Amino acid sequence: MSALTKPLFAGSKAEEQEDPKEHLMHDRMPRGEMNSMMLDSMHSTTWKYWTVTGVLAAIVATCLFYAWYYLIMNGLGVAGVNRPVYWGIFLVEVVFWIGISHAGTFISAILRVLKVEGRRPFTRAAELMTTFGLVQAGISVFLHMGRVWLSYWLIPIPNERGLWPDFHSPLMWDFMAINTYLLCSTMYLFLPLIPDLAMARDRATGWRKTLYKILAIGFRGTEGEWKNLKTAMNIFAFAIIPVMFSVHTIVSWDFAMATRPGWSSTVFGPYFVIGALHSGMAAVAIVLFLIRSTMKNMKYFLRPEHFELLGMLMLLVSMAWAYFYFNDYLVPWYGGDKWEKILTNFIQTGPEWYLWYLMLFCNVVVPWAILWNRKWRRIPWLLAIVGFLINVGMWLERFIIIPETLTINRMPFTWRLYVPAIEIALTIGNFAFFFLLYMLASRLIPLIPVWEVQEGQESHVLRKIGKARISAVSEID
Amino acid sequence: MSDSTMLLALFEDIEPAANGIERLHEMGIADDQMNVISGVPIKDTILGRPSALSHVSRIALTGAILGFLLGAFLIWGTPYLFPLHVGGQPLYPVPQFLIIVFEMTMLGLMGFAFLGMFVDSGFPSYTPKEYVREISDGKIAVLFRCPSGEERKIVDALKKLGAESVNPAEARQL
Repeated sequence: MSALTKPLFAGSKAEEQEDPKEHLMHDRMPRGEMNSMMLDSMHSTTWKYWTVTGVLAAIVATCLFYAWYYLIMNGLGVAGVNRPVYWGIFLVEVVFWIGISHAGTFISAILRVLKVEGRRPFTRAAELMTTFGLVQAGISVFLHMGRVWLSYWLIPIPNERGLWPDFHSPLMWDFMAINTYLLCSTMYLFLPLIPDLAMARDRATGWRKTLYKILAIGFRGTEGEWKNLKTAMNIFAFAIIPVMFSVHTIVSWDFAMATRPGWSSTVFGPYFVIGALHSGMAAVAIVLFLIRSTMKNMKYFLRPEHFELLGMLMLLVSMAWAYFYFNDYLVPWYGGDKWEKILTNFIQTGPEWYLWYLMLFCNVVVPWAILWNRKWRRIPWLLAIVGFLINVGMWLERFIIIPETLTINRMPFTWRLYVPAIEIALTIGNFAFFFLLYMLASRLIPLIPVWEVQEGQESHVLRKIGKARISAVSEID
Repeated sequence: MSDSTMLLALFEDIEPAANGIERLHEMGIADDQMNVISGVPIKDTILGRPSALSHVSRIALTGAILGFLLGAFLIWGTPYLFPLHVGGQPLYPVPQFLIIVFEMTMLGLMGFAFLGMFVDSGFPSYTPKEYVREISDGKIAVLFRCPSGEERKIVDALKKLGAESVNPAEARQL
């Protein structure tokens, strides 16, 4: 009698064995060469780069700054916000961009704490998204304010008018949390950047030399400097995680603290956090694809394995989002409250019904249908498309939560469909500004943390176990 | 210290650098007379060096305490000056206290960790320093002070262990 009841595998041995060089950590390269590759990618600017930058700058100038000027000169009447929808796309943008900003912290801090080695080459690209995303969120708040020149009233300064910010209000918590997050994430972006700025300083000439010399703050890489830097980075990695959770939880409380149908939900905090991660991770996939396909030498640093890791995280987060969304949907539906029922019917069968179905398609169907497959996860352009669709879905989710939900309240005589006006131009301007900042940053700061990549390569070895060579990691720092 | 010379030995890899440091110890150069400069962080035990002292954690903790106090002042202290009665809520609520104090504590913790890194490392500093560009290309430099007259012996010993170069350290503009 045969010992085997059925064949164990159908593929060939050659297919099974992966070339270790496919992994960045095992495809070692001298540090000097990696530095040159990084700097080369920063210094090379083609006409295509300047054309795209110019177009983005023109869009920002007209759609954002001119439209904003027009809004200020004519008042919020030129926007679509009106009774009962006072929170329109401006607030959708705030929530959306804060969500995008969560990716940097998640990838850089959580994956750093968990020692996920695959994070190394793309932490900075994600951290930059955090800072630039928060800049867009801040701009959107100012746009929403209308009389933006009075924004200093939010700052607690004793004054003759007797105005004082109410620290008991969720909007004030929001102000505190977003500012804390913006300041801390900017510092967290800068810390691991210092050694790379020192590397750039050592090679640069002209105005770049002066710039990097100032920014590198005199870093050489002595034992004491590394110790202080690593200690500070560790503190940030652990401390910024709860701050990240608090920010979007507090954003959700802006809605959940109001006793209105569609908003008053105890699950809103974690639901918002997971939604933020959903859009943030997806945005990282888009940005990594763009960096990889438009910048020189990036194919060495950003490989299919990194997209695979990102794809797995996106799938996981998509499942978690679906779980929270179902929770948030089921309980009011089961409760049978009259106004909740009307609102649910309005969202699913009202004049904008297609937005709800498109949201579910983009946030659940697309990632689940594609990201389960390892081969597909490793295709950068496919992951970027999935990322784009997820962001469409997440933007729609925020649109449904804010203006659509505000349309239906307990006073039917006020119901009115929200039709955005100048907000559309400002939204285009917001997106263009994000990409413009990214384009400029890509030529000024090393988007790949080269020292972290080298550190990873130093600590990875291939161990021979039986017939196979297995990757092993040891801590050298 | 006119009776000593500052030398900078450059190594290609961790292994020869660790051996070089061990040899320097054997030749009577104390740990406080040397420093390792590298393009990546290397655990002190790998190089056989004592752990570098850092005050960043303590400074960060001080920041956290200050942040806590600032948060407590904002949520519980300011209502004395500007009492705002909203929605039947107490003037000194606990849940809101936790939120504001949490944000301020974390801001203090991280803000001071950032500043602490600067203060403890002496940043920013734009004065000339002993440094060579090859360090950011992955080389490991051992900067040490050796008694005058013993340079030749030490240079030979380090070169035998794989040092690429051992030269008098020059402070230069970074």
